[in-house]
Amino acid sequence: MNKALKILKDNFIYLAFIVVGLLPVFGLPNYQFYIVERGMQNALVVLSLVILLGFTGQLSLGHAGLVAVGAYFYAITVKNYGFSPWISLILAPVVTGLVGMLLAIPSFKLRGPFLVVNTIAFGEIVRILILNAVDFTGGPFGLKGIKPLFSGVYLYYFMLVVVLIFAIVTLRINKSHIGLAFKAIRDDEVAAEIIGVDVKKYKLLSFVISSIFAGVSGVFFANLTGYLNPDSFTFEISSTYLLMVVMGGMTSTTGGFLSALLVTALPEVLRFLADYRMVIYGLILLIYIRFYKVLDIKKIFSKLNFKKGSEVVE
Amino acid sequence: MSLGTFVQLIIQGINMGLIYALAALAVSLIWNASGLFNFSQGDLLTLGGYFMLTFTVVALKLPYWVGFALAIVVMGTMGFFLSRSYFYPMINQKLNPQLILIGTVALSVVIRNAILNIWGPSAQRFDNPFGSKPILIGDAIIMPYQIVNIVIVIILVVLLQLFLRKTVMGIAMRAVAQKPVVSSLMGIKVEQLVSYTFLLSTCLASIAGVLTGPILPLIPEMGSLLSIKAFAAVLIGGLGSFSGALVGGLIVGISEVLFSTFITSTYKDVFIFLMMMIILQIRPGGIFRIEISEKV
Repeated sequence: MNKALKILKDNFIYLAFIVVGLLPVFGLPNYQFYIVERGMQNALVVLSLVILLGFTGQLSLGHAGLVAVGAYFYAITVKNYGFSPWISLILAPVVTGLVGMLLAIPSFKLRGPFLVVNTIAFGEIVRILILNAVDFTGGPFGLKGIKPLFSGVYLYYFMLVVVLIFAIVTLRINKSHIGLAFKAIRDDEVAAEIIGVDVKKYKLLSFVISSIFAGVSGVFFANLTGYLNPDSFTFEISSTYLLMVVMGGMTSTTGGFLSALLVTALPEVLRFLADYRMVIYGLILLIYIRFYKVLDIKKIFSKLNFKKGSEVVE
Repeated sequence: MSLGTFVQLIIQGINMGLIYALAALAVSLIWNASGLFNFSQGDLLTLGGYFMLTFTVVALKLPYWVGFALAIVVMGTMGFFLSRSYFYPMINQKLNPQLILIGTVALSVVIRNAILNIWGPSAQRFDNPFGSKPILIGDAIIMPYQIVNIVIVIILVVLLQLFLRKTVMGIAMRAVAQKPVVSSLMGIKVEQLVSYTFLLSTCLASIAGVLTGPILPLIPEMGSLLSIKAFAAVLIGGLGSFSGALVGGLIVGISEVLFSTFITSTYKDVFIFLMMMIILQIRPGGIFRIEISEKV
């Protein structure tokens, strides 16, 4: 019995995926289904932040910018240049990864609030450039009619498989020597350098991997909405991503996946509050963070013994 | 381009810069007292502006200066209680700094949406009593409020300096900034001090909010972009430095106005952010670098 329970706990992420995979079978109404899809798309960004923030300890509030790069690259190449969606799906993360390299440069010298404000500035620069490059991006009017990879429920299952693959990749990185190097940097940069970790190289790697995840998420965003607008990639969205990671326990892949679904759904669940829903949403977060230590999600998680990385250093 | 027009632009830039500088100063003060980087500063500033709007236009119809004072008092009290009930407990629990940072982001979400619900999404203005008759100096056109704003900020800075250098509490604030543990051993009540620093910073936010009135119309999202530029200012100047915040704010404000006049106003924000990134690459601690305690 105990053994069976342990197997269940170790493979909780697969269980979560199976449950989410069965959702279309039960037949959710369209809009609720769309929210689940958006949650999956956000889960990719959360995984990307798990690697960057949870493993490497580099805080980014510019991830909406990276998602925007992926989404707009996909949309522009497919719509304006007639690329096959599949080629764009492959190319978009590559381009986002290259852009992520730029984002990594400030992290070599800066830390703490200095780095955070740099990432915010990066996100804002991307948004302003998109807003003003009207010929390519449609500017404030946005881009309409983007051809998706699949239609309907097939897209959902394709996303599910991709998110699962990326979740497994994240779990593998966590256990590999790369993950160890990331965590060494997170816990103590100087000590990491002394024991022979090439800090710059691994920081760059972490940013690039994270950007690739965000780029794929951007492609899915374009697929899901079929319409892109700079307003979908603001600083507020970046902070929502950050929030999902924190609620998921920062280093936990499973936690990140679940919290992405949950936090995406939260404003919709609160819809009955009408105009006040965003205030209540903010207040819930406020109270959650204020009583973080009291509630201690992490302790509950470690009791359940989910698959996750080492404890976050407080 | 005549000299007069140039002077006019510089004064315009200084005006905008002083707003950034006040917000930057508030961020710096809190950073010194508690090691918390307050991401809700821009929204507190907006809230201050909206309180002023309520006191002078919407509800009470008080005279300008009375409304101004009341806005400062209300915001200061709010800052004090926010610190007591929210910020200090988070710091005291030794919460992960990243979580505290997200806590301030959450606060900014609450404030922004509360403003949206209470005052509505449309742009609003309150009148200033200094008139709208421009003063002509040579061929420079200067609005009366521009001069009043500059005078108010100069008085404020002098008062703040006197406060930080001559009063017991000010000296305690500076002591905590330098050596938190030692100062608590010397009998400084850190919790109280953090609360008073927050009080001071929300006061500064409300002053900045009121002074923004004639320059920008009030909209609920105003805090977002203002705060990012205030952060740029505080980092360019040097986080934790008093003169750094002022100089950083002025650099951002003046270069913003000059760039948008001479080159293009579309990419003025991009220019400011790139400038910040480059300055931080050259001087990672900002211009007035405070000794950054780094491990060997």
